[in-house]
Amino acid sequence: MQDDHRLSTSELEMKYGTSIDKGLSSARAAEILARDGPNALTPPKATPEIVKFLKQMIGGFSILLWIGAGFSWISFGIQLAQGVDSAFDNLYLGVVLALVVILTGIFAYYQEAKSTNIMASFSKMIPQVRATVDNSSLTGESEPQSRSCDFTHENPLETRNIAFYSTTCVEGTATGIVINTGDRTIIGRIASLASGVGNEKTPIAIEIEHFVYLVAGVAISIGVLFFIISVSMRYKILDSIIFLIGIIVANVPEGLLATVTVSLSLTAKRMAKKNCLVKNLEAVETLGSTSIICSDKTGTLTQNRMTVAHLWFDNQIYSADTSEDQTTQPFDQSSPTWTALSKIVTLCNRAEFRPGQENLPIMKRVVVGDASETALLKFSEVILGDVMSIRAQNRKVAEIPFNSTNKFQLSIHETDDPQDKRFLLVMKGAPERILERCSTIMINGKEEPLDSEKAEAFQTAYMELGGMGERVLGFCHLYLPENEFPETFQFDTDSMNFPTSNLCFVGLLSMIDPPRSTVPDAVSKCRSAGIKVIMVTGDHPITAKAIAKSVGIISATSETVEDIAKRLNIPVEQVNRREATAAVVNGMELKDMSSEQLDEILRNHTEIVFARTSPQQKLIIVEGCQRQVRQAWQSVIYVPPALICATSQGSVVAVTGDGVNDSPALKKADIGIAMGIAGSDAAKNAADMVLLDDNFASIVTGVEEGRLIFDNLKKTIAYTLTKNIAELCPFLIYIIASIPMPIGTITILFIDLGTDIIPSVALAYEKAESDIMNRRPRNKRRDRLVNQQLAVYSYLQIGIMQSVGAFVTYFTVYAEQGFLPSTLLGVRVNWENNAINDFEDSYGQQWTHYQRMYLQWTGYTAFFVSITIQQVADLIIRKTRRNSIFRQGLFRNKVIWGTETPELELSCSQVFLSEIFAPTPRFQYWFVAVPFAILIWVYDEIRKLVWALGFPPSSPVVTWIKPQH
Amino acid sequence: MARGKAKDGDGNWKKFIWNSEKKELLGRTGGSWFKILLFYVIFYGCLAGIFIGTIQVMLLTVSEFEPKYQDRVAPPGLTQVPQVQKTEISFTASDPRSYEPYVRNLDNFLRDYSDEQQTENIVFQDCGDTPTEYKERGPYNDGQGQKKVCKFKREWLDNCSGLNDPTYGYKDGKPCILVKLNRIIGFKPQAPANESLPPEIMAKYNPNLIPVHCVAKREEDADKIGTVEYFGMGGYPGFGLQYYPYYGKLLQPRYLQPLVAVQFTNLTYDVEVRVECRAYGQNIVYSDKDRFQGRFDIKFDIKSS
Repeated sequence: MQDDHRLSTSELEMKYGTSIDKGLSSARAAEILARDGPNALTPPKATPEIVKFLKQMIGGFSILLWIGAGFSWISFGIQLAQGVDSAFDNLYLGVVLALVVILTGIFAYYQEAKSTNIMASFSKMIPQVRATVDNSSLTGESEPQSRSCDFTHENPLETRNIAFYSTTCVEGTATGIVINTGDRTIIGRIASLASGVGNEKTPIAIEIEHFVYLVAGVAISIGVLFFIISVSMRYKILDSIIFLIGIIVANVPEGLLATVTVSLSLTAKRMAKKNCLVKNLEAVETLGSTSIICSDKTGTLTQNRMTVAHLWFDNQIYSADTSEDQTTQPFDQSSPTWTALSKIVTLCNRAEFRPGQENLPIMKRVVVGDASETALLKFSEVILGDVMSIRAQNRKVAEIPFNSTNKFQLSIHETDDPQDKRFLLVMKGAPERILERCSTIMINGKEEPLDSEKAEAFQTAYMELGGMGERVLGFCHLYLPENEFPETFQFDTDSMNFPTSNLCFVGLLSMIDPPRSTVPDAVSKCRSAGIKVIMVTGDHPITAKAIAKSVGIISATSETVEDIAKRLNIPVEQVNRREATAAVVNGMELKDMSSEQLDEILRNHTEIVFARTSPQQKLIIVEGCQRQVRQAWQSVIYVPPALICATSQGSVVAVTGDGVNDSPALKKADIGIAMGIAGSDAAKNAADMVLLDDNFASIVTGVEEGRLIFDNLKKTIAYTLTKNIAELCPFLIYIIASIPMPIGTITILFIDLGTDIIPSVALAYEKAESDIMNRRPRNKRRDRLVNQQLAVYSYLQIGIMQSVGAFVTYFTVYAEQGFLPSTLLGVRVNWENNAINDFEDSYGQQWTHYQRMYLQWTGYTAFFVSITIQQVADLIIRKTRRNSIFRQGLFRNKVIWGTETPELELSCSQVFLSEIFAPTPRFQYWFVAVPFAILIWVYDEIRKLVWALGFPPSSPVVTWIKPQH
Repeated sequence: MARGKAKDGDGNWKKFIWNSEKKELLGRTGGSWFKILLFYVIFYGCLAGIFIGTIQVMLLTVSEFEPKYQDRVAPPGLTQVPQVQKTEISFTASDPRSYEPYVRNLDNFLRDYSDEQQTENIVFQDCGDTPTEYKERGPYNDGQGQKKVCKFKREWLDNCSGLNDPTYGYKDGKPCILVKLNRIIGFKPQAPANESLPPEIMAKYNPNLIPVHCVAKREEDADKIGTVEYFGMGGYPGFGLQYYPYYGKLLQPRYLQPLVAVQFTNLTYDVEVRVECRAYGQNIVYSDKDRFQGRFDIKFDIKSS
């Protein structure tokens, strides 16, 4: 295939044993079909649903819980054999644990499945409007490419004598020989390139994994440590195993992963409302941690339609309005030259509106005609009003359409002035060709001879407009003298029996695919959010640079190496590359670059445009970006590339794209963003997110939501981890101090899967504390979801305070029933011995075993209630990480207060419900822990105050209280 | 995480544990560790202080003489001596070692009931040999100092007193058990209403007596249980009301709870015989969940050789 484009037709016929006229024989065709298979792309392999489901069953904490369930059943078996009465408790505990795993697994699976369902319904929703427009979904070039038999380029992608699978023919006919089918076509290779790119884990998945490891590590080490302690304290092995289960259950936040899933899908829903459709739930957060966005130009940054941007007449450049919803044009239209120019623009144009669109805004109407004619038609319709009637009044008598040899278009019209019997010849085309044909130029409505000075002015204007990346057209006219061309004159376009030189030059119009009006603002928001925006396009460097400048990807003050060279008037090689902040890199240059050179470009320039890039190059650029050390581009210190790999996991890179050619890059990116309207199915499949309005500005929303959910998940996790200590401490103290068990395993599950779920989801609704869009993207290595500070603060400070509060309730319950704290220490063995039914309390009263157990269950509920009450305080302090709760507004998040009442109600109802497990505690036990709840609140306010007062960051107090949690 | 992870070698770990350049242990310098340690010492010190303080405040609200609530401990449990695992008494009459633990248990328990332990007249009061009314001893505080307690004569237990037969009948295969009602401060058991009693104990009905009666747990064991003899105060098979109410450990540190000895003189050997003993009273109730509330059951398994 690589060389097929070099071969002549006859050589090709030889090679494939076919003929241009007859084609393959049916037998031969069948043979090839049998060999190569049908001409279709192999669909990407999908993970079987059952595998996905099983993954949910063993992922995360599930393994730990399965182990817990296993141990429960083992100890059930042993106890049953020994004839212990309470053996069945362990059986039930095991069943409950297994149920927890299975139910949360089903829940997570359902959430994942639901998010993919959104996608399926989505593709039905958006019809493929561009099916017949583009002939190159492959190369990403916006303009139609002509095809011929000539071998024009070494690169098969560039040469003119190959047409590609999946592209569409816009006009004309051609015959060709099929040289490849199915997966062996270019598109097939791109598709396999895309599926070959492995699915990287999303940043949030990495964070959750890290969190699971951390918590599991804590659970296992404490579990094993206390297993050893309890064995060496001469507990029975079986008892020690039961303790181990308790410790695991207490340590594992059973409900947390479900909570995270719910929070993510809530955010996904919110983002979908703002036109960001998230395909993969975990990708919700990825945009928030993105540090580089590689954006496509056409359609994403621009409006994807040519629009008149500038005019040049009367020796002056005028700017036109290029916004999406223009209704008037503000430039000065008083000059008679403009009247003449507008007439040429209106008449010398073959494009027409589709009928029946009179009620639509002009910019939204569908036009039959090519891109520039469409632009001109709309431009004149906006300014002059009804173009079609103007054309009707100036009847067209002859026309030469545009072709690539002439490079002009000409038409001859009657005038709309009944007194004026002259014909008007109008012409437009490539400016230099038009100028060649002119001898005069119109200035302020008067024809003046075209001297060298005026020609100079024309050149300057032409260069300036061209330098802005705009496509420039020249316009001229000539009123044919009435005597030579009477009303009855027959114009013949073949023999050209009319003058096509010595015309009068009227003006220039330049067109561009203008940036969307929301994009510059969005780009500057990205910048202040510390995100580097890189443009990667298949378009010409000049156009790319112009668009980059107009949207702020290259800011007004920055220069490329070439700009500096031009300014200082020195050769490009002599320019200090470090001085140039911006860079425009051509695909051809990129091809010869080593990855070190690419890294250097990405590192040394803050503002980069890649033009004329191929799909493979886009992939290389994305990989290069992913290698970047975040913020390294800011620092002046040179970091050797080898070190970068060693010290960094690199940047999180977002890529936008719409074509099939973008799909490998979309897949390779940490988050691929496809366009919903213009995007191809391949791009949408490869992407993690779809922008329903194709608007770059929607990405900013995504970044904001992503950052917010990351912050809020931290809050959720901090909230959840805190009470784990209050659940764990009872076990540890029970083992060491041999007091009656303060809280049961089932009760712990009641908290984790009952009362705590709704408040932790509610934290996902918390508003942003500060302007999260003025913050740098988080550092993948440093800014973890769960870090030391968060864990330490939750576990060792708030968690311990909570435990203390709960233990006060516990001791109160026992003391008021006759067991003063001093009596409780060391009683475990006798307490739990069911042969002892005259167990003496602090007052000399005697208790049966069942009476003691009943008291113990009362203790469980009291402990449970205390944790719930203190979790309210925990929820309040977790609402903010830095700001005082009074500043954030205690009641601003209605959702939290909306759930707070249900939380308490839920815990009330659970306490009554749990009558089967444990008795209702007295009413006043709900309030024992309240002072501790207040203490937690006050303590955290003090911490925030200390933070606000600004202790030196190096001070250890600060490192341990700083709001990284 | 896949990217670049492989490059995080062991060197980083070693460096993390001890960084010789910066003199850092686990990422912190000694001074930093000291400050953190200090912070936590103070932090936990304060917490411990708050904890102890709150517990002390809580204890102030609790009387030292009687508990605030008794809803979990009442109605009282009924228990036996010797205390046995799985409520089974199993021995061979001819083998003293087989019943030695039971005997020792009874000896220990009855030590406080010996005459020589009940000589101090400041503490003990003779409450007669017949059941009489409750003995109220004023309010539950030490305003009047310690309260007196009723004597309980060990010889009332007769064959089961261990005075004549130090093996409490075990050597003859006629085991004794002692039955007692759990102590509950202020609890005044009420004598049963006449009609509710089983006919066997109606004969010895006394309005100031909480009778105790043991029967075979299962109908089919009724003939295996043989004769059951009861020894209590003044020969009454129950607890006299004058021993109630109990005033608690502080006010009556040497309180002797009334006992009833039950001797099974003709148990069938080599079979398990389940016996259930109940105390009868209007405010003594039984529960399905708590098998020791107001009653208990015990298994005898006497082996002939």
